[in-house]
Amino acid sequence: MSETLLDVRKLNKAFGMVTAAKNLDFTFQRGVLTSVIGPNGAGKSTLINLLSGHLAPDSGEVWFQGRDITHEPVYRRVKQGLCRSFQVVNVFSNLTLFENVAIPVLAVRGKAHTLLKPVTAHKEVQADVERVLDRVGLSEQAHMPARALSHGDQRLLEVAIALAAKPRLLFLDEPTAGMNPVERTKILGNIRQVAGTGDVTFVIVEHDMDVVFSLSDRVIALHRGEIIADGTPEEIKMNPHVREVYLGEEVRI
Amino acid sequence: MNRYWIYALWGAVLAMLIALGLSAGPFVLYLAMRVMILAIFALGYNLLLGRTGLLSFGHAAFYAAGAYGLSLATIHISPHPLLGIFLGVAAAAFLALIIGFFCVRHTEIYFAMLTLAFGMMVFSLMWNARSVTGGDDGLYGITRTAISLGILKIPIYKEYQYYFVVLFFFLLSIFLIYRIYRSPFGLVLAGIRENHVRAEFAGLPVKAYRLGAFVVSGAFAGLAGTLAVLLESNITPFASHWSRSAEPVLVSLIGGLQTFTGPLVGSIVFVVLREVVERFTHNWMFWFGVILLAIIMGFRGGIVGSTAEIVKRYSRV
Repeated sequence: MSETLLDVRKLNKAFGMVTAAKNLDFTFQRGVLTSVIGPNGAGKSTLINLLSGHLAPDSGEVWFQGRDITHEPVYRRVKQGLCRSFQVVNVFSNLTLFENVAIPVLAVRGKAHTLLKPVTAHKEVQADVERVLDRVGLSEQAHMPARALSHGDQRLLEVAIALAAKPRLLFLDEPTAGMNPVERTKILGNIRQVAGTGDVTFVIVEHDMDVVFSLSDRVIALHRGEIIADGTPEEIKMNPHVREVYLGEEVRI
Repeated sequence: MNRYWIYALWGAVLAMLIALGLSAGPFVLYLAMRVMILAIFALGYNLLLGRTGLLSFGHAAFYAAGAYGLSLATIHISPHPLLGIFLGVAAAAFLALIIGFFCVRHTEIYFAMLTLAFGMMVFSLMWNARSVTGGDDGLYGITRTAISLGILKIPIYKEYQYYFVVLFFFLLSIFLIYRIYRSPFGLVLAGIRENHVRAEFAGLPVKAYRLGAFVVSGAFAGLAGTLAVLLESNITPFASHWSRSAEPVLVSLIGGLQTFTGPLVGSIVFVVLREVVERFTHNWMFWFGVILLAIIMGFRGGIVGSTAEIVKRYSRV
């Protein structure tokens, strides 16, 4: 039943003497919500950057839905359904929420180069944008500029922009960072709900172990660019190697 | 502001411009045409600067490409003004495509310096290719022959006749650029200005869109160049000098980078102010600089931007 979405083959990346990815070899299956954990500097962000096309690997291959995308530029990956959100707020600050979400919608619908017809004349684009904003609960503020939102709502918008590109596989880089408990509950509810529809497969990088263990079907633990454990949340909790790495870290498993 | 007020305002401006064409003397007409031509240049340019966030110091090259394109077409092919305008704009767009191809790989200061370097190369080509461009003498004696459309022949030789040609292209440019601002393409350009990394991750080939904006703005620069050479009847390489590239930058800054009408207002201020200052003093550049400083420092967001801010604040109270 499980279908391979992303296939990573012997991926390597080093920054000078620092190894950020060492012989990474794994797959992501459709519908399996995976978390990537690891202490600071374990190579989590590098991994997302490598897979989303922000960084080029030193060696190895990345296959997405049966296609070699190792050398494809970022925007092509996005169009095929491989998206990401960012650790820091990374939105179009001076544009309205509607416009923020409209940009990826136009891009994936292949309407972005339309020159003389107003955005509002594309009814299907408008409908898409409204649906995405509605899904994350930001439709009330659709015509406010993004910079006027609270930090937590900007993070929500961040996820909304990523969702608007109709991803099959979506990387969320610390989606709850800097959120208050209310906002955190809201965004986790969102992720659960979207994941439940089965359209989007999430891969989440997280520091917060509560989030990791409550959401994930599968957990991958990274340390110095290597996978040290890969399994169900229960298995990871019990894994002695993971406990050793995390000893003295802020997290108690 | 209310939508109907905006329509009424545009209607009033249009009526005024038509009345001006029917009644004003040659000098006022000449100034009005210079304002409109500069406005076309700056409106197109601001699509790149204000919208996409790219500062180009090389747009005089496209202005000159339009002007030389029309002149050469008039001399060698046919003096039909519409053909000349078409070929001039095409030449400018083509040149922008080539230069832009190299420039959009970079941003910020590197982009600005590259456009400057290409602009200097174009200037020196036009200066040196004497057999084609006439060297430092330029090309002259470009007359405005009648626009013939089948059986209809529209004379444009007289100042007030040509005024309506410039007005037509001025309105056409406003219409087109306004549509572009509101189009998906225009929105994407704003997104690229705001956050080009995010735009890429939204599924957009950012460089291709930057190039698109570059070519569109280059084409409008070319249109301005063709209209200017028909107005002045001659063109020299100085049209492509980099100091000329500063004009749309200043005009956009005066009027307001983040506004649609900013470059329009900026053009009026630029041309009229220069004309007035030149009356009183020989070193007009000094006083012009002082006035520019005052406007740019005193009106943050340009004249239009800061006025809109004030109106908004008062209408809220």
